[in-house]
Amino acid sequence: MHRRSFVRLLTATSFLRDFQVRPDTPALRVVSKYRASANSGMPGPYPGRVVSIRSDRCVDTSTGAANDEVVRDMLARGMRALTGAGTTADAWRRFFEPSDIVGIKVNCGGYPHCVSAYEIVADVVRQLMGVGVPVSHIYVYERFQNQMDEVNYAPHLPEGVQIVAAERANRNVDNSGYDPATYLEADFFGEEDTRSNMMRLVSRLLTKIINIPNMKDHGATGVTGCLKNIAYGSFSNVARTHQRGKSHTYSVVGALAAMEPLRSRTVLQIMDGLRGVWHGGPFARTTRYVFYPRRIMLGTDPVAIDRLLLDIIENERRAHGAISIWDRSPSSLKMDDTRARDADPNVNIIIREPGHVEYASTLGLGVHDRARIHVQELTV
Amino acid sequence: MTSLPLLALVLPCVYSTADAGTRASLETAGVERICADSDLAGREALPAPGTAARAGVASPTRAPWIVASGWRFIRHPDAKYVYDVPAGKAALAAAEAFAYGADAALKIDPADLRSLGEMLKFLGALPPADLPAVSDLAIVDDGSEIAGEVMNLLARRNLLFEVVPAPSPRFRINVRIGTPEYPREEAADPSAFALKIRRQLTDDQRVLRVYGSEVVICRLTADAGRARLHLINYGGREIEGLRIRVRGAYRNGEARVAGVGRLALEDQIVASGATEFSLPRLTTYAVIDLVAVR
Repeated sequence: MHRRSFVRLLTATSFLRDFQVRPDTPALRVVSKYRASANSGMPGPYPGRVVSIRSDRCVDTSTGAANDEVVRDMLARGMRALTGAGTTADAWRRFFEPSDIVGIKVNCGGYPHCVSAYEIVADVVRQLMGVGVPVSHIYVYERFQNQMDEVNYAPHLPEGVQIVAAERANRNVDNSGYDPATYLEADFFGEEDTRSNMMRLVSRLLTKIINIPNMKDHGATGVTGCLKNIAYGSFSNVARTHQRGKSHTYSVVGALAAMEPLRSRTVLQIMDGLRGVWHGGPFARTTRYVFYPRRIMLGTDPVAIDRLLLDIIENERRAHGAISIWDRSPSSLKMDDTRARDADPNVNIIIREPGHVEYASTLGLGVHDRARIHVQELTV
Repeated sequence: MTSLPLLALVLPCVYSTADAGTRASLETAGVERICADSDLAGREALPAPGTAARAGVASPTRAPWIVASGWRFIRHPDAKYVYDVPAGKAALAAAEAFAYGADAALKIDPADLRSLGEMLKFLGALPPADLPAVSDLAIVDDGSEIAGEVMNLLARRNLLFEVVPAPSPRFRINVRIGTPEYPREEAADPSAFALKIRRQLTDDQRVLRVYGSEVVICRLTADAGRARLHLINYGGREIEGLRIRVRGAYRNGEARVAGVGRLALEDQIVASGATEFSLPRLTTYAVIDLVAVR
């Protein structure tokens, strides 16, 4: 058998002094034959470093439309600043080479008002092709095909880019897109199906991954940023971690993101903050909770970017008089009542776990301590 | 694990509810065992199999509520049953009865004649495999309704059990409701009760695990040389890539899937005392035959 199984006793992690793993953290069994690469993708070459590029012109806030030219400029300047390269092409060559097969993990859950922007995805594809990656070796991916169909990236991308999903829809009937030998096993609530399998695309085909999350609130995790997008967007059967008021996302988000080969292959984080969602996330069915941070954050450290995201969402909620993402009071909780949650930003349907970002740092995925995160601010 | 005495797997007889269901049309559809009115008398009525919304019923998981009768067949293997099923359910009911070797009559909607006929042809063409049923635990049947509901929840979780009149030394776990270990008050919540039994058994020690769906119920039969696994999909949607783990070392697995035919098993491995494989497609019903490694 060519596989290696190991159990991570998560309570034994001690990357961060004074960090106490909560006693209700469930046992997680990680099964993967893949070893970490010499140059780990997360946190990668720039731990604790974030380039934040802001432009008032990147989105017309009256229509929500993005300005393609400004977005391209933001990305180009950000990539040069992150890498120190003299040209944009050189900046991209620091991460990619022509032989790579590159996955672009988008986020389509916030359709129609907050998804990975067409303009950003298109420019990423353009830059990869500029490096020499064949167009047919570029995969834009999500878990659910019906969400990809709604967002419909194809008209915005060169012909030949692969647009793929693991499942037709969120119905728990398509497992063939997942790797049966690479999974996290845990029993959270007594569910029978105790495995969450990594997408085959990720484990068996891609050599590099670019993560493009949005700046969004999330009812179970507090925020859904780099960690949540790459973790819950690359594995099956993950909704089982949060239900009936309780969320195990605190430990599972980081545990999934840390699984090989996902961790090693995810080499670039592009946080799309052209638009954002401050409540009701990860969905954005109305514009009521949409806001416009009008910025992009670049880096290789998902924890550092998500640490900044926690403040962005928290501040926006505070500006609207909404309860904190850290609120754990029973009086705010209306279990599973999504209608009440959508109507009232002071309602939680689950006790959120924004601590998942700090927890991920204990797995070595990046820097959580705000004092150790260096943010380079640019304005376009 | 242990095994149960054999049950002959027989095709159910069929009774159609409308004029279209005349003997000729039934025979044309491939139905060989046709019920007369007298065949339906005195049989225990069964619910239509499938999944159901149960508004207001709390569940500790998101798993849908499955309406299945396998536990009834295990509890009373010699009883006679009748299904009166709406359109769309006849093939599933036939497969369910066949998998457990139940003596069942099917009262069907004529719209199901074709799909039922195809299912019956499939079932009739399966190679015989009269193997004893395999179980992980025993449940002492006190005849109560609550014991039946516990059996129902055990079956839905693919916790394979044998019904016994008294605790049996053949099993590590004997569930006798009303004892200090299994209080009747606990059994009043059969879902939690089944979960307790599962955790006593431990997932690693279970003879069967199913990954990739919570609407597939299985029946495992085996002897020292081979095994046959019946898979019944109650969800109404085809499932791709269902992952199965069976304790013991097996090789040369092959699936026969209703409406599809023979399929090779994928990604088969033997490790840690168990065999794992993926079934590429599961329609309403499939059997998987496995040969033991000697």
